[in-house]
Amino acid sequence: MNDKGYMTSDSEEKEEKQEENVTTAIQQLGQTNIPQMAQDSNIHCLTIVGQIEGHIQLPPQNKTTKYEHVIPQIVAIEQNPNIEGLLVLLNTVGGDVEAGLAIAEMLASLSKPTVSVVLGGGHSIGVPIAVSCDYSFIVETATMTIHPIRLTGLVIGVPQTFEYLDKMQERVVRFVTKHSNISEEKFKELMFSKGNLTRDIGTNVVGLDAVKYGLIDEVGGVSQAMKKLQELIEFKKGKEGKMLQ
Amino acid sequence: MILYTTMPQELIFQTASAEYAKQQLVYYDSIPLLVRETETKEYEIVRNLSTNPQHFLQAKYSPGMRILPPR
Repeated sequence: MNDKGYMTSDSEEKEEKQEENVTTAIQQLGQTNIPQMAQDSNIHCLTIVGQIEGHIQLPPQNKTTKYEHVIPQIVAIEQNPNIEGLLVLLNTVGGDVEAGLAIAEMLASLSKPTVSVVLGGGHSIGVPIAVSCDYSFIVETATMTIHPIRLTGLVIGVPQTFEYLDKMQERVVRFVTKHSNISEEKFKELMFSKGNLTRDIGTNVVGLDAVKYGLIDEVGGVSQAMKKLQELIEFKKGKEGKMLQ
Repeated sequence: MILYTTMPQELIFQTASAEYAKQQLVYYDSIPLLVRETETKEYEIVRNLSTNPQHFLQAKYSPGMRILPPR
């Protein structure tokens, strides 16, 4: 009798524990377990979200993408033979010019096929990152703000500072025109146009328009991007096969 | 003190340096995770920084889960 009593309390305890596990999962994540896939992914996914953080550390309440996190990841992706392609998801307001250009240059010089998707927004220094990939997509509702480089939005008083910023801007313009189909004239026209942004110069380019200007290759979401990436991977494999023969 | 401005307070006041120390990057099962230390000396996952999409399908690496600090 004693034994039996022990058994029941034990199994009850187990049941209770299991239930508890489920409830903590729901409390902590707002979700339950998702079935796991066994094999490793040959496509990795890099998310550029929030602000692009550079030399100055932003307070922790800001959502940021730190270049010291992203750059080693890109190196690891380049080096890992199991990774065949990279999908870059962008939803950024922009941020540090040098950090943004650093990430863009890293992506542009990656030997593996890369595809970017702009979701929500790919503003400011997010533009070079979006165009740095081999092929770029933008969802229909996403926007990209193209505007001149500035420090605080105040008027720049010193000619030397202006020259320095102008050179910095020139780097962005050159990178974007080199990696996309947009012409320098068009990009600068969008950058310096008036009346599009409230009390500011620049243009807010929406999905279809970004494709029309040649900035982005195609309108599409994740399925189109994955298909394109697979295509690029197959193409690269085919080319390598030929070179060996 | 009343500040007559529409500017958000974090733009006016400097963040306390202790705020920066609250979040840190750790490698857990060789996955880079951005974590925050809780009162119970555990780490709560704030963000999963991995580029491997498979890591996001495992509940134990998702934001909100707690991990024990490395010894």
